[in-house]
Amino acid sequence: MGERVVILGVGLHPFGRHPDKSIGELARVAALAALKDAGVEFKDIEAGFCGHVVQGVGAGLRTFGEVGMTGIPITNVELACASSSRAAMLAADAIVGGLYDLAMVIGIEKMQRGLLSGVGGAEGGYQSRMGIALMPALYALMAQRHMHLYGTKHEHFAQASVKAHRNGVLNPNAQYQKAITLEDILNSRMIAEPITLYECSPTTDGASAVVLASEKRARQYTKDPVFMDTWAGGTPKYVRGEADFLEGPNEMLARKVYEEAGFGPEDVDVAQVHDAFSPGEVFLVEELGFCPHGEGGPFVYEGNTEIGGRIPVNTDGGLLSRGHPIGATGGAMITELTLQLRGQAGQRQVSGAKTALMHNAGIGGVNVIAFKR
Amino acid sequence: MGTEASTERKQVSIRGAHLRLGESPALIGSRCPGCGEHFYPPRHVCLNCYQEGLDEVALSTRGDLRSFTIARMGLPGTAMTPPYVIAQVWLPEGVAVATVLTDVDPEAVSIGMPLELVVEKLSTDSEGNDVMTFKFRPVREG
Repeated sequence: MGERVVILGVGLHPFGRHPDKSIGELARVAALAALKDAGVEFKDIEAGFCGHVVQGVGAGLRTFGEVGMTGIPITNVELACASSSRAAMLAADAIVGGLYDLAMVIGIEKMQRGLLSGVGGAEGGYQSRMGIALMPALYALMAQRHMHLYGTKHEHFAQASVKAHRNGVLNPNAQYQKAITLEDILNSRMIAEPITLYECSPTTDGASAVVLASEKRARQYTKDPVFMDTWAGGTPKYVRGEADFLEGPNEMLARKVYEEAGFGPEDVDVAQVHDAFSPGEVFLVEELGFCPHGEGGPFVYEGNTEIGGRIPVNTDGGLLSRGHPIGATGGAMITELTLQLRGQAGQRQVSGAKTALMHNAGIGGVNVIAFKR
Repeated sequence: MGTEASTERKQVSIRGAHLRLGESPALIGSRCPGCGEHFYPPRHVCLNCYQEGLDEVALSTRGDLRSFTIARMGLPGTAMTPPYVIAQVWLPEGVAVATVLTDVDPEAVSIGMPLELVVEKLSTDSEGNDVMTFKFRPVREG
């Protein structure tokens, strides 16, 4: 075993619509907040990793450059909606390997309004022309299949969005800080059945920043560190005779992380999962082992993932309410879980949280990370 | 000679669909000569046994509905007008195909229903050719 990795500092620029702010400005606010939270100066940071998707060439230097130009290596990391969690994993790998004692991640995105066309990019071909490559439709296909196999109801999925928005009210950095009812959600515009408008994460502008440290270095700054304990990344795996739209082998990655972290799903106190669309939470509570397969719908609907429930999920409002500036989302997930494990999550605090699990998915890969205090 | 030929409307397949037009339309996929695995779209290396140089084959034109959704909102740049049914069709070769259903009442669609391939004109290209695509529709009894 190499060095253990500590999340020493976290920071966000509030998520929302910021058309008049540059990515540098958004990043600067998040980065300065994370440095202050960590108690370190930028000149002490040995490497930078910038998670972003569509901010163009050199976004890493443009964002880190806002807080200093110290000559350190800065690497741009793109993994769609999971870019900044992968950036944190690369930073952590380097710390474990003894390359650095202090590294920093900035996650950043400014987005256009409207639906994201998912698969295939410019090479989308017939799927783009025929309106198939539609992100909510991909989740809808999985949702319909889940309804068919397990009797899951639309209300079950929609309840994840009710809960997300309720938590968003408690998060001053959330894009939406307004509660909505199950009825509001079911009556909002149908996008791709069963997914309605209020079951889609919004497009968002925002930034996140994370300072990571080796344990020996972190001990100079804190007596009670939050560890980024274990992490695993993966891509979709070809399995003969099976078709799936999953962005990666969620279940296998979770199993690997649990094994290495030395705890199981029943021991997780608080979790962040990728709820780009409301069915996401239902699928993931099953795949991460919080409930048996097929029971995710009732599990979520009955309140098990509420703050105060059996396993609080997406306490900061999740992608649905906190917002989803794709390159910044992973860093925001790390931020929330770090605050939760420190007991600094304010009204959203899960009392006595000691272990946390995070799942962040992007087209082309999935990251699962365990945290411990 | 030549002027008439140049104004003749041709049928062309939509880009990326690997659709064979003509008398017996079909999707073109790959079959691995080593392990027999099928793929759509076609590929060069087998994902099951890593053999290179797969054979080109016409895939079954019938399959079952694996999942579907009714798209109620369109995307700019597409040739579809909502509502339309987006479907994942499972072919007997063990291949999933993403497509759109046609000749169907969206409310009557159910997972597992038997479907068959049809070719339809989607649009006209800049040279005046008919751009043809494939969809699936419920198999008619009898």
